[in-house]
Amino acid sequence: MAQKEKRAIKMPYERRKGLYGYGFIALWLIGTAVWFLYPLLNSLMYSFMQVKPETGGMQGTWVGLDNYVYVFTADQNYTKYLASVLLETLWKTPLILIFSLFIAVILNQKFKGRAFARAVFFLPVIIATGPVYSIINGDISKSGASSAGQFSTMFSTDLMGDLFQFIGIYGLSDKMQTMVETVSNNIFGIVWSAGIQILIFLAALQNIPFSAKEAAQMEGATAWEYFWKITLPYVSPMILACLIFTVIDSFTAPDNLVMGRVLDMQKDWKYGEAAAMAWIYFAIVLAAVGIITLIMNRFIYYEVD
Amino acid sequence: MAKEKEVVAANGVVVGGGLSKKEIRKIHERNMNQEEIRYLRRKEAMEKVWPVARFFILFGLCFIILYPLIYMVSCAFRAQEDMSDPTVMWIPRHLTLKILRQTMQAMEFWKTLGNTLLLNIGCSLVQVVTCAITGYGFARFKFKGKNLLFGIVIMMILVPSQIIAIPQYMEFRYCLGIQPLMEKISPALGAKFNLIDTPLTMYLPALGANGIRAGLMIFIFRQFFKGLPKELEDAAYLDGCGPFRTFVQVMVPNASSSFLTVFLFSVVWYWNDFYVSSTFFTQNNTMALMLKNLGTRLSLVLFNSATVEVSPREQILWMEAGCLLAVTPLLIMYVCLQKYFTEGIERSGLVG
Repeated sequence: MAQKEKRAIKMPYERRKGLYGYGFIALWLIGTAVWFLYPLLNSLMYSFMQVKPETGGMQGTWVGLDNYVYVFTADQNYTKYLASVLLETLWKTPLILIFSLFIAVILNQKFKGRAFARAVFFLPVIIATGPVYSIINGDISKSGASSAGQFSTMFSTDLMGDLFQFIGIYGLSDKMQTMVETVSNNIFGIVWSAGIQILIFLAALQNIPFSAKEAAQMEGATAWEYFWKITLPYVSPMILACLIFTVIDSFTAPDNLVMGRVLDMQKDWKYGEAAAMAWIYFAIVLAAVGIITLIMNRFIYYEVD
Repeated sequence: MAKEKEVVAANGVVVGGGLSKKEIRKIHERNMNQEEIRYLRRKEAMEKVWPVARFFILFGLCFIILYPLIYMVSCAFRAQEDMSDPTVMWIPRHLTLKILRQTMQAMEFWKTLGNTLLLNIGCSLVQVVTCAITGYGFARFKFKGKNLLFGIVIMMILVPSQIIAIPQYMEFRYCLGIQPLMEKISPALGAKFNLIDTPLTMYLPALGANGIRAGLMIFIFRQFFKGLPKELEDAAYLDGCGPFRTFVQVMVPNASSSFLTVFLFSVVWYWNDFYVSSTFFTQNNTMALMLKNLGTRLSLVLFNSATVEVSPREQILWMEAGCLLAVTPLLIMYVCLQKYFTEGIERSGLVG
């Protein structure tokens, strides 16, 4: 009897609370249906249609997979761009992650001028998403201008070649050398797209409990050991977050070749083909992120609360 | 130094007042085995070398980041002829405000700035509020289909705006199918329902928590509200607060710094956006659009024709000046509120 009474009191509150939950997300629910789900569905439909803009909306005829076939077989640039963008994401993402973790570890140490250094490293966060970045980037890579040219030669082949020669591994491996050269030539892009990642890693580093640090010091761990045994496990969940963030960021970057191609197609009124291109790219990236997440999840250390 | 003395004392060796550092260390090392000595030596060497190395690394990288900004400032104050003068690297030979003034004229700077600020701050305010409400709903309530709906939030983060821009354009152009009906009644009324080029194209999605990067903002708020103790909610309930009042009077005051951080980021994202706004605006009335089309506007405004071409090398001057103008308001905001940009993320619960 008592139990029944308790349930009679408890159930309505829980249910009422649940209803309030719907109330809280109602605005978003409407907004998402109108400005996200419906357009998303539409764009998926376009990719299977021959679309023409007309008064009152898009008019289309169903063509099945023709757009997808066109994209892969007839379009000259798409597969080329897709391959190069995917390859670039593949080698740039780990580099950005390693770099931002490295910088975060440095910025977490105590030294003079730390506040200034932090301010500078987070600066890309507020600039790198805008058109300013594409202008800066364009100006620097064009290197036609006097001082811009100076800048790109500073990190260019000669310098790296000289360094190799100096160390004495000259001619050891051409592949290795080109790899290092690409990295050093792209350092601008890497530094500029690491802002948020540094921020996230830094926050994760500050969450490492002091007791772990103390224990490591008592045991006489070197900085190297400390990094591998303490730092890395503690920030590992954030590595995944940063990885996903980096991939998504490069995916929507204004200078992304595939997205540029998609926009060009849209300018030519070829919405069906453009939609197909965008969806192929999206599907590939989504699959890649999914697989990486599955694999990474096995290596991530979660502290049990 | 103080630490060393403590250790020495703990080892039971009496340290005389007149001993030099080296002698102290010798006494110190007598009690240790080979491994310990090596460890301490290595640590000492690292402590001496590392700050120098760190300085060079940070200095170099800071230079890479600041380089474009320094270059912008250097360009904006140059005269045209300095561009073809090989002796001018950083400091212009002819200091002049001419380029800056011309760029301001071409960008209609003050008008654009006012427009952009109004639009950005308005949209960001609306969006922060709606996203916070949504995030709270996801964080604190149990209801059917929650996981599925949150999956949609994740999708919002993942799907690039390029995919959904065209259908969205159609929605605004024909106002969800209402516009053709109105046009039948009267063309004037029909024209009113064409939302393209009105600020509504930005405000309406923001109101529906679907503006620029709304998914990420909902996610951040959800993480943050999840981190607040359940006792807060229980106490409010016992005191007779309904869920909505709990949110407004108990949760929001606790989240104020997190609100500010998300708001600042939202302003930055709206400020920098040119893809979404170029889809919905045909006129260049925001800073990002102005900057994107600065090249064509320059020849129109300065030389009264679209065909006059400035040499690309000299055009850099105006472009860099334009960049400087577009970035300055953000930089001022960043410098003044830097604390909230950097510390806010840590506190907002995005991590952990």
